[in-house]
Amino acid sequence: MSLLAFFQWCEASGIGETIRKSSWLFPVIEAIHLLGLGVIGGAVLVVDLRLLGLGLKRQSTAQLTRDAQPWLVGSLVLMIITGGLLFLSEAIKCYYHDAFWFKMSCLFLAIVFTFTIQRKVIMTDESRLRPLWSKVAAVVSVLLWAGVGIGGRWIGFS
Amino acid sequence: MKRVLIGFFFLLALALCYLVTSPTQAAKLPPPSGAVARKVHLMSSDSGSDKWARLGYFGRPLPIGSMLLQDESTSVAPQGSLLAFFQRMGDSPWSTGLHESRYAYDLIESVHVWALCLFFGLAVMFDFRLLGWTMKSVPVSEVARRLLPWTAVGFVIMVISGALLFSAIPLRSYQNIFFRAKMIMLLLAGLNVWIFHSGVYRRVTTWDVENVPPKAARVAGALSLVLWVCIVLSGRMIAYNWFDCDRQPQPAIVNLLTSCVPTQAEH
Repeated sequence: MSLLAFFQWCEASGIGETIRKSSWLFPVIEAIHLLGLGVIGGAVLVVDLRLLGLGLKRQSTAQLTRDAQPWLVGSLVLMIITGGLLFLSEAIKCYYHDAFWFKMSCLFLAIVFTFTIQRKVIMTDESRLRPLWSKVAAVVSVLLWAGVGIGGRWIGFS
Repeated sequence: MKRVLIGFFFLLALALCYLVTSPTQAAKLPPPSGAVARKVHLMSSDSGSDKWARLGYFGRPLPIGSMLLQDESTSVAPQGSLLAFFQRMGDSPWSTGLHESRYAYDLIESVHVWALCLFFGLAVMFDFRLLGWTMKSVPVSEVARRLLPWTAVGFVIMVISGALLFSAIPLRSYQNIFFRAKMIMLLLAGLNVWIFHSGVYRRVTTWDVENVPPKAARVAGALSLVLWVCIVLSGRMIAYNWFDCDRQPQPAIVNLLTSCVPTQAEH
């Protein structure tokens, strides 16, 4: 099955059909998706601001990451579920929309980066790490997640 | 910064008082010349080249003919009412340019959404701390001192971009039920911030390191959380026109809350 055929199958699915036909389901799911975005933003920023030295200072980044982790993962799951539902209702539009592919690329990179490279930087003993590296990790993380959010917003602008 | 916020909420309260007391008759106006363009914005867009043409149009003054047309239509609204004011605002070249240039409007809206992460995300993190749900080992005053300045920055960006979005479609937003709900909840959220900072937070040194702060702080955190969530939800819903004045018939309560007076022809 080609990728386009898969997208067509998604669009034709019962869930997609239901969401398309309802006048309020799409807005409500979208609003929940937006709330998830806010919480992810907060969880990411708490850690990244710490890495940049602009947020909390006295606690170790590792501790803050452990505190923020459940909120990051929880809202990520919420966003993937609600985002998946939104996608099912307009899969073919997404297939032809550059912003969708931009968003998915950013999302993939953001998840991989956050849970591998950035995690490694955070867990490394702070005295053994050049401060520059933690700042670079924070900036990359903010840019990747911002790309996901802005790409998402631009799917709505056809 | 705190004074700026209090000042802002004071102005918002004044505006709301005026909103409630302002005359509501003749709220349903004959469509002004800007109404067509306003509707265009709700519909899905057209080809790409057209967007650039519209961006080029941004801020350009309207031709004299259309200005005269608008003068005739605005004269219907009672002088001095908020409604007339927002209608004049909507007919201004600035507003028309903004809602017709899709890229400028979309860019501002993207900034509004992006700043949501900064403002809402960090405010929610602070609320979570007040509820004892996260960062339990970090003193509350530390979280407040290091993170709340960022929420203030986010808030300023939100207000500026939000005001620009409003100025692009002022009349429709003003008569939108979700917009009104959002403004009232913003006011309540501001009140909550003020009560928290002038009340239980003054004694923060006595409960700073507690994993779960005292009840008054938890109530403030929970209220703030609920209010901001509802503000985001209603903000998102402003984009939908289910309860708009030009979609009649509506239940009487909706028309009352949006100060719409439907004309006979629409029944």
